[in-house]
Amino acid sequence: MRGIYLIVFGALLIQNLSAQDKYLTKEGFVSFFSHSIVEDIKADNNQVLSVIDTKTGEIAIQLLMRSFMFEKALMREHFNENYVESYKFPKATFTGEIRNYDELNETNTVSEIVGTLTVHGKEKEISSKVTVIISNNQITLTGDFKVEVADFDIKIPAIVANNIAKTIKVSFELHHKPYN
Amino acid sequence: MNVEKSEAVYRLTAQNLIKEYQDNEKNTNEKYTEKVIQIEGIISEISTLRGNSVVTLNDPNSLSSIICHMQAEDNKRALTLRKGERITIKGVCTGYLLDVIMVRCIIVE
Repeated sequence: MRGIYLIVFGALLIQNLSAQDKYLTKEGFVSFFSHSIVEDIKADNNQVLSVIDTKTGEIAIQLLMRSFMFEKALMREHFNENYVESYKFPKATFTGEIRNYDELNETNTVSEIVGTLTVHGKEKEISSKVTVIISNNQITLTGDFKVEVADFDIKIPAIVANNIAKTIKVSFELHHKPYN
Repeated sequence: MNVEKSEAVYRLTAQNLIKEYQDNEKNTNEKYTEKVIQIEGIISEISTLRGNSVVTLNDPNSLSSIICHMQAEDNKRALTLRKGERITIKGVCTGYLLDVIMVRCIIVE
């Protein structure tokens, strides 16, 4: 699957660099939210890379785990060093497609993104409802979905098990511009 | 980690940092991520993102840049910067996508 990812991502970026059908952002926003009886934990990443091929509706997203900013520095440290092991797995990636991309327009803005999410070196097929706004040479995707911590082989020590939710909500907002 | 008070562990040019990442991303990640590093380079872009300044340092020989997300305290100073100026920035490196990403940056000079 990593092979497929590299091919898709490489192809999106390298082929037809001058083509008008690639849209990109380097400043996408992804956040995750964990709610538990003990505390709420939220982290924001404002440096997400995302590329859409408007011919096919394919999308490839990459982010750096260390770019997630937490309210408390210690949370960020635990997240990177103990839970997602960013020194081994510095990136999270997603490759997939926006369903029925060619049917989306000003009035029909809701679709579904389906594809493979890779976090902590583990792959998981996911789908997310997405709102797609296409206007003024910009393609904006917003949506959210839920993931299970256990699906990504992330081990939470028993001592903090009550502090971290088993299901995490992931939100995204990606403003793509023409890539040229 | 307080970037302002921390001594930079490495000091290098934008060009050299990009080159190291392009030559060997894995080793370079291990060397620089989570460390306070000081980068000198030419400003190619200044923008704002959700209220914070973003200063991009470019390498004329590469498609990659260094994208520096500034600390809120340096937003005002970032507004006085001009494209094409030479600048030294200190911050925390989080890794490499198409560009090197730096967060919590401050302007050194």
